[in-house]
Amino acid sequence: MTYFFDGSKDAFLTAFLLAYRDEDAFLTAGSRQLALGQQSVFVCADTQKARKCEARLRGFDTACMHDLDMLLRSGEDARGQIAFLYFRLIAARRRAVRGELAEDAVSEAIGCIRRVALEAHRLKGFVRFMECAGGALYAPISPDNDVCDLLLPHFRARLPQLPFVLHDVRRAKAAVWDGAHAFTAPLARADVVLSADEEGWQALWRRYYASVNIPSRRRLQQMKGYMPVRYWKFLPECPAQTADALTTQNASPARCADAPLPPHGSAR
Amino acid sequence: MFDFFAETCYTVAMIAEETLRILTESAKYDVSCSSSGSGRRNAGGIGNGMPDGCCHSFTPDGRCVSLLKILLSNDCVFDCKYCMSRRSVDVPRATATPEEICELTVDFYKRNYIEGLFLSSAVHVSPDATMEQLVRTVRLLRTKYRFFGYVHVKGIPKADPLLVTEAAKYADRMSYNLELPSESSLKLLAPQKDKASLLAPMKQLQRERAVFRAEKRRGSLLPAGQTTQMIVGASPERDGHILRLAERLYRATGLKRVYFSSYTPVVQDGLLPCVQSPAIREHRLYQADWLLRFYGFDADELLPAEEDLPPDIDPKCAWALRNLHLFPVEVNRAPLETLLRVPGIGARSAQNILSARRYTALSFEHLKKMRVVLKRARHFITANGKFYGAGDMRTVRGLLAAGECAAGARQLSLFDAEAALTARTGEV
Repeated sequence: MTYFFDGSKDAFLTAFLLAYRDEDAFLTAGSRQLALGQQSVFVCADTQKARKCEARLRGFDTACMHDLDMLLRSGEDARGQIAFLYFRLIAARRRAVRGELAEDAVSEAIGCIRRVALEAHRLKGFVRFMECAGGALYAPISPDNDVCDLLLPHFRARLPQLPFVLHDVRRAKAAVWDGAHAFTAPLARADVVLSADEEGWQALWRRYYASVNIPSRRRLQQMKGYMPVRYWKFLPECPAQTADALTTQNASPARCADAPLPPHGSAR
Repeated sequence: MFDFFAETCYTVAMIAEETLRILTESAKYDVSCSSSGSGRRNAGGIGNGMPDGCCHSFTPDGRCVSLLKILLSNDCVFDCKYCMSRRSVDVPRATATPEEICELTVDFYKRNYIEGLFLSSAVHVSPDATMEQLVRTVRLLRTKYRFFGYVHVKGIPKADPLLVTEAAKYADRMSYNLELPSESSLKLLAPQKDKASLLAPMKQLQRERAVFRAEKRRGSLLPAGQTTQMIVGASPERDGHILRLAERLYRATGLKRVYFSSYTPVVQDGLLPCVQSPAIREHRLYQADWLLRFYGFDADELLPAEEDLPPDIDPKCAWALRNLHLFPVEVNRAPLETLLRVPGIGARSAQNILSARRYTALSFEHLKKMRVVLKRARHFITANGKFYGAGDMRTVRGLLAAGECAAGARQLSLFDAEAALTARTGEV
């Protein structure tokens, strides 16, 4: 049977209880084409059942809820089933199975958690804030996984006096630090007025980026390996343009067409 | 919803774009870009340290941008032959003020462009005067601008030891570049520098760090330690000599890293080669350096002093092929130190193997799932008693070298004269 759930932790734990003894169970938080005659059920979160299930699983592995949190943040379609097989193994063995990497269920789950953690780590570097007219910082991001609020403690620790918004434009949500409180909120669209100097600092950054490159060493493959092209969208240094300009000796750091935001622009 | 977007305009003094270009282009050949090793906490200002380091961008040359790498001035009184800022060359000169550097650092940092500052300088007026300006800049950054992010200061050779001590109070990391791997090359290509003037401040800082730790004072002195850099390919030293020097430096001065910079001809001089040193040499040296620092190898095991590392296979494979009598090892029983010496098994794979084999006997299928590079490892291991490698050294070497060269390989054509020549001579 296919068990649909809404992607939340409580709904997963409720579905897990229902599906645990079902040999052909398939849990999914996305859409799935059913085979002819295949049965399905949409599982709603039941808080009471979820707490009971959580307590039982914690008894087997104290850190397993952290794993679940990371797995459910994944943008992969199969995340529900990966988490289900991993937790079914924990429940069957009645202990932590994290180190048993020879098991398919464990290696899939650990790989999935690692991909989420890697993206969060990468974004700590690739987030680009723009200064708004009031001094607050705004950064649009479009991550593959739901890591927006994982970044919040990192930036709060280093910019405690500056309010900032990390806007996940793909999921229409934002992680916000207002100088005193950190919270997440739905945010479909933000109209921001940039500070008078923002364009100047972006131009300086583009100049710096073009100048620090050594044109005689051309290793685009390596560059793209470390900084995949999907993250270039919101980078004011426009890596694509600098890479293209390598063919002509004078790498001009002029503003590129798809730079993040024009002054007094808006992000959707 | 977000009332802090309300409009209030203010302006700050920005460094001129042309000054930034000149000072950055002169600094870009400094290799060190690491921002790791410092856990400095934010104490009511902007920034903090990130012990794992963080890369903020990557340039088309494949290098990461982690720090704002800039010179305070490129107006130099020294005349090092390899340097693009040397006194005798006619290039545009610029000098930035400490305030301009601080403003630039803070504004880049808060936009998350950089992880901190890498501040260096040409020897402007005199070593002491330059070092004073560097110290003034970092002190200003830490005290007036309340910046707690990463700061790497490049020491100026022959500056007063008191200035060196003062810089170390504010920096996370300091470095003195050895520039060239031997004193004779240094005399020839950088006549105003000598080995003693570079090693003395490194040893001074090491002593001061030891005293600081022994006295258990609050805070930290140079939490990210010291590094150095040397140019490879501008002078005749072999890889064996360079690696031994690196090993001695790690042991004698407690350095965190030795960086190697592949020589790039940016100035014309009869004493310098006119061709760029191959990137693969730098790559192999870094691989060997990793083996020294994390895999328990000694330089003596890797290669003799008067030899270069083989370009066609990596140093670990080369060592394993010279020591085939130690292999194959059984992955289900070998200790960690032995697993780390198997080509294709890195530090993470070795830990994964140790963890997984507690529950089940590992097979090649399991190792594949755990992302062990079997292309190399299969010649040196058995899994559950099974061996899938090629037995003799010549075949293994051929297979490993073929794997390394596959990236540049292409289909030969009967009508392509260059390719036909390559096929006949065997040269690539």
